[in-house]
Amino acid sequence: MMLAALTILGPLAAAAMILLLRRVPEAFALAGSAAGLVGAGFAFAGVSGGARYGATLPGLPGLPLRLVVEPLTATFAALIAVVGFLVMVYAVGYMTGEVGRVRFYAQMSFFMAAMQTLVHANDWVLLLAAWELIGFSSYLLISFHLGRPDAASGATRAFLYTRSADLGLYVAVFVLVAKTGTSQIPASLEVGGAAAVVAGLLLLLTAAGKSAQVPFYGWLQDAMAGPTPVSALLHSAALVAAGAILLIRVYPLLSPGVLLAVGLLGGLTALVAGLAALAQRDLKRLLAASTSNQYGFMLVALGAGVPFAAIAYLVAHAAMKSSLFLGAGIFQQARGSTRLADLGGVAREQRWAFLGFAVAGLALAGIPPLSGFWSKDAVLAASLAGRFAWLFVPLALAGTLVTGAYIALALKSLWQGEGQGSSVSGMGWMGTGLAGLVVLAVALGLALPPLARLLAAEPPQGMVVATLGTLFGAAGLVLGWLVPAERLLGPLRGPAESGFRVGGGFYDLVARPAFSVARAADTLDRGIHARVLGVGRLGLAVAGAAGNFDEKGIDGLIAALVGGTRWLGARARTLQSGLVHKELLLAVAGGALIFALLTIGLF
Amino acid sequence: MVTLFVALAVGAVLFGIGLYGALSQTNLVMIMMGVELMLGAAMVNLVAFWRFLHPEVYAGQMFVLIVMTVMALEMAVGFGIATGRFRAKGSVEMEEARELKG
Repeated sequence: MMLAALTILGPLAAAAMILLLRRVPEAFALAGSAAGLVGAGFAFAGVSGGARYGATLPGLPGLPLRLVVEPLTATFAALIAVVGFLVMVYAVGYMTGEVGRVRFYAQMSFFMAAMQTLVHANDWVLLLAAWELIGFSSYLLISFHLGRPDAASGATRAFLYTRSADLGLYVAVFVLVAKTGTSQIPASLEVGGAAAVVAGLLLLLTAAGKSAQVPFYGWLQDAMAGPTPVSALLHSAALVAAGAILLIRVYPLLSPGVLLAVGLLGGLTALVAGLAALAQRDLKRLLAASTSNQYGFMLVALGAGVPFAAIAYLVAHAAMKSSLFLGAGIFQQARGSTRLADLGGVAREQRWAFLGFAVAGLALAGIPPLSGFWSKDAVLAASLAGRFAWLFVPLALAGTLVTGAYIALALKSLWQGEGQGSSVSGMGWMGTGLAGLVVLAVALGLALPPLARLLAAEPPQGMVVATLGTLFGAAGLVLGWLVPAERLLGPLRGPAESGFRVGGGFYDLVARPAFSVARAADTLDRGIHARVLGVGRLGLAVAGAAGNFDEKGIDGLIAALVGGTRWLGARARTLQSGLVHKELLLAVAGGALIFALLTIGLF
Repeated sequence: MVTLFVALAVGAVLFGIGLYGALSQTNLVMIMMGVELMLGAAMVNLVAFWRFLHPEVYAGQMFVLIVMTVMALEMAVGFGIATGRFRAKGSVEMEEARELKG
């Protein structure tokens, strides 16, 4: 139990220590991810032996935060820990001499801890928190090269895209929690009816944003501005995988209609992103488009109703795609660029790295007996066996074909050209990380049957589709090698280069209307502001008039009263001469007056 | 034979003389003498009304006694003021006394 907690606490403690001490960040990061690896391995072993762990942390009142270790989460956790550790080993070599290593390793460790929390969360509140944290830390990591404008804009773009899609997750969680009255994930997955459909579609939207599916896949290519280890982790086991992981976890919730949408979206992405990859002129951008394409396959498997195929593909893809990225990182260090035009012939200098890259690429294309073959076989068999086979199988096969084509394009671009005899520093660490992941990419096929037993799933298989998939992958490879990408794409080249923008893309469809709405709102706001100011001025004028009236009117009245009284008093004072006989005379006159009145008969 | 009319006529004459004296004289002592005459006229009237109209009621005599007391008090206060003023200013001419002017 305590050891299993290391999965999260190891990287988290590493991040804290790095930020506190700011010394030897590599050592702490490696130790943290190694501790995470030990924890995940222990938990995985325990789960394989039938054990289940759970923990309830005190959270908000009435909303405790629940963690769970069960076969599914243990599988994901082990995947993240392994890939994370190997990428971290690679990063030690890659980041040699970079400025800001403390920041980098702290953010990487934190990213891993957040991702592990996300997989272990058994509670929507905790899941949302972890979801935010991975989005935030990936934003920090993508913008690692602070001075570069493309890093800043890429990070902002990634953040905005995924955040807008995250709104779906929020609304879905609100719907589920409101429907079931509990924030526990397993309980909320039993919801049915309209709420399940709404929540399922919203979750699909969120997953499409995070996993870079149509129509949100543009951000992933801009996110390539980050350091290569970040891309490797982001694409294989962390941020992008989070979308697929979310859909796999909520699979019981998804109704047939939603599943159709999931599969359709995945199939479309597999095709469209694959074509976009063919049009790329930059190795890392090509790999990024390939990531969208590969996650499309996972969504197809989910849509066909076989989550195990998606899990298998996720695991295999993590090893393959991180190997590809790590290889690309070595080429990048050798030539100081990732543009395909600059990388010509780099394969002849870095033969071992190219071997790893090529093996991982062939695995991605689904060539037996590499891991990609088995997982792709599972996906194809699943789509053939499931409903809507007529829809999913062609899409998946077309995706396989373009996968082979863009892999061949990448391999050809790297191979053709003259070697320059460059040397790369930190090759020992980088080679170790890459070698570990390539071994996984080769051999993970062996792990699928035991994994299926652990998850209590029936691995779908089929000779026909396996042969078909291999044929299509190989055909793609041959096509890509022999035919230049421009010719291959034909009329699709223009749209593919621009990322298949529809109606001007997000700028015209979303940004411009949003800006005009904002301008209208601004005008309205200014109008309201002017009205408010007008009301204020009116109030001031009224107050001024009242003040005037108060000063001139009432005060004047009082002053006049006072003046009159004083005048009267002055007049009355002249009567008082102080002379006794005059006073007496007055008294007599007064007496006479009273007497006269009495006599007239007033009384 | 003295009748009510004769007594009232004497009272009226006395009052007129007193009023004239009080208004016309400037000397404080003379003014007080005028006031004394008017009070005396009032007493003559009171006695006459009692004697000729209601001889059985003694309230009229009581009035006269009260007026006599008032006269004595008036004399005492008046002469006190006159003596004080004479000591301070050397004169009791009221034309010169304007201190009470408002």
